[in-house]
Amino acid sequence: MSNGCEKGQVGRVGQVGQMGQVGRVGQVGRVGQVGQVGRVGLLGLALALLSLDVRAADNARQIVDEAQKRTDVTSQRYEGLLQVFDARGKVSDKRWTMERLGAHGQSKAVLRFTVPAEVKGVALLVVNHPDRASDQWMWTPAIERDRRIALQDRATRFFGTDFSFEDLEERDVNHYEYVLAGDDTIDGAACWKIQSTPRESKSSQYTSSTIWIRKDNYAFARIENYLKDQVVRRLNYSNIQNVQGIWTAKQLEMTDIRRGSRTRLTLDKLEYNVPLKDEDFTLQAIRRR
Amino acid sequence: MRRRFNKAFFVCFVLFVSSRYAVVTTQAQTVTQRGFVEGRALLFPREAPNDPTRVVGDLLAREELVVKPAPWVQFATGFDLRANSHDQVEDSWRLDVDDRGVKRPRASLRRLTATVTHGPFTIDAGKQFIRWGKADIINPTDRFAPRDFLTVVDTEVLGVTGVRGVVQHRAETLEVVWVPRFTPSRLPLLDQRWTVISGAAAALPLVDAGSDLPERSQAGLRWGHVGSGFEYSLSFYNGFNNLPNVGLVGQVGQVGQVGQVGQVGQVGQVGQVGQVGQVGQFSVLALTRSYPAIRTYGADAAIPTPWFTIKGEAAYFTSRQSGKAAAADEYLLYVVQIERQTGEWMIVAGYSGDVTTKRRSTLAFAPDRGMARSIVARASYTIDPVRSVAFETAIHQNGRGAFGKIEYSQTSGQHWRATVTGVGIAGHSDDFIGQYHHNSHVRVAVRYSF
Repeated sequence: MSNGCEKGQVGRVGQVGQMGQVGRVGQVGRVGQVGQVGRVGLLGLALALLSLDVRAADNARQIVDEAQKRTDVTSQRYEGLLQVFDARGKVSDKRWTMERLGAHGQSKAVLRFTVPAEVKGVALLVVNHPDRASDQWMWTPAIERDRRIALQDRATRFFGTDFSFEDLEERDVNHYEYVLAGDDTIDGAACWKIQSTPRESKSSQYTSSTIWIRKDNYAFARIENYLKDQVVRRLNYSNIQNVQGIWTAKQLEMTDIRRGSRTRLTLDKLEYNVPLKDEDFTLQAIRRR
Repeated sequence: MRRRFNKAFFVCFVLFVSSRYAVVTTQAQTVTQRGFVEGRALLFPREAPNDPTRVVGDLLAREELVVKPAPWVQFATGFDLRANSHDQVEDSWRLDVDDRGVKRPRASLRRLTATVTHGPFTIDAGKQFIRWGKADIINPTDRFAPRDFLTVVDTEVLGVTGVRGVVQHRAETLEVVWVPRFTPSRLPLLDQRWTVISGAAAALPLVDAGSDLPERSQAGLRWGHVGSGFEYSLSFYNGFNNLPNVGLVGQVGQVGQVGQVGQVGQVGQVGQVGQVGQVGQFSVLALTRSYPAIRTYGADAAIPTPWFTIKGEAAYFTSRQSGKAAAADEYLLYVVQIERQTGEWMIVAGYSGDVTTKRRSTLAFAPDRGMARSIVARASYTIDPVRSVAFETAIHQNGRGAFGKIEYSQTSGQHWRATVTGVGIAGHSDDFIGQYHHNSHVRVAVRYSF
């Protein structure tokens, strides 16, 4: 927790570094020297602002990095309930169990549907790579076959829900550039608001994203994904609970703003650091129930 | 046979009882169940020359149960119950185990498999499904997967009885299969519209003179590698083709009484039951099936690129005489396809080809080769979580046969799904696809899953 407090201070300094707030910098002790802008020339001002911007970016990265570190686990298991609400309020439910081995860009996951009955047993094997898009295979028991899923367009909806395949991939901190965009409050909790832009090496359907991270526990509170300058998908994290020392949102709700539909994912029976074996994350293993 | 049935029934009973017990006494994850009941109606706008029936009703109930008493062992079983308005189902309540009948069994054991896992080793023993290959259009390497071809354009894979051992180490997988008992593909019924006899022979009654099923076992070996951004497999199969050589024999009088007078079948378009020559002297045509010994040398690969995924699969078939089955053609069957998922669209397009290296005078029912030399495409679109549409087409490169399908599917609640499918078939009688031009149809299916 002490680590969190230190990061919290760094975060606040970073926020001040935003251009629009420079006028108030003098009031903030640690960056007081930057407030005395009258004594330096234009070049100095520009350099100072640039330097602040770089620090803000560094700090934003540190916040996201810390948030990621705090969710570092060796493995994870949960039962998920996916509820899709379309613009007319119609609901479709899907349930699955998810097991993940490893974390953040270097992990393997098996997702197995349990409801509705007609997709029961359908399994998805996801192998995440730090340097490229994940490999995915699907096992369909009705035809007794596994097949590699073509994912050139990760914008594709995941089984007709409002989550795209990309939304369900792990966001490794190194795949994005970050800039601190200020403070905000989500559901009464103070948050850092961070702008993230995918690096060139990381292809993304989104032009950029805005991430809200809670200051009290470094849990993600919201992500808004942009296409150019328009928000297209909003992911809200709620029911944040401490599970085995890790602050975890047990309910995630993705809204597709253009379609007016939303999908709620509720995590149940969540466990971290469960004993899972590497051989349970293979094409052979997903054939087994 | 009765003894085998009793054994299978006993094992199933034990599995069922143990599963009920397991539900009560152990964790819920140790037992899983899935099943459905599906009613289908096929509506044919045209009568076929040998089959005036235009409406066919079909009912299928399927139940599958998996019991996992320990992490290292699993038992899976599945049963089918069927009914059909057009005599496509046997009129007998025996529990069929080996899927060797001409008609679909009324009650059948779909699978009964024990799976043992230890580290990287997995062994599946019993009646099971073994699928090879990566392509979606046709699978030349998929040699342990006989099919039910009663409706040629809508097939289902049949299980085989054998042992499959797999060892997986990092990116490498080695699979060894041994199938001691042969399971043939189920052919279209002789008196129904999916059996097409052209020419003068069409006027003669066609009778089933039986099958000559191989007694020897089949074996296969497959090595697969999943690399960084690509995967491939090499395979070898030594056994029998589950698609038969067909013998058409002209007979005078009743089958079995007068004996064979002469062979009238001519080698026709592969995949057809053939053009038949001089038949005036005969009163019936008798059809026999024999299954040629084959070896296949196969390979398949999937290569994702930034734009699409390329999938390819090929197998070279050699053949030799075995029992009553003459050696069949030797040929290379291959398919190349590209696949892309874009937005809510999933698109697959490709070409399947066939290169014959040694042609022999055998007549065969071979839908895999019959579909070759075609451009094939498939697209599906997810409208929303409950509705989807799909399109599929196969067009022979010579333009003599084409097939198209459009399907709309919608779910309701957690259990119901309705699917409406329109199938159009056009072409010439000497083409494998085109010969079914009387068989365009609409299919309506309602399924309740549980």
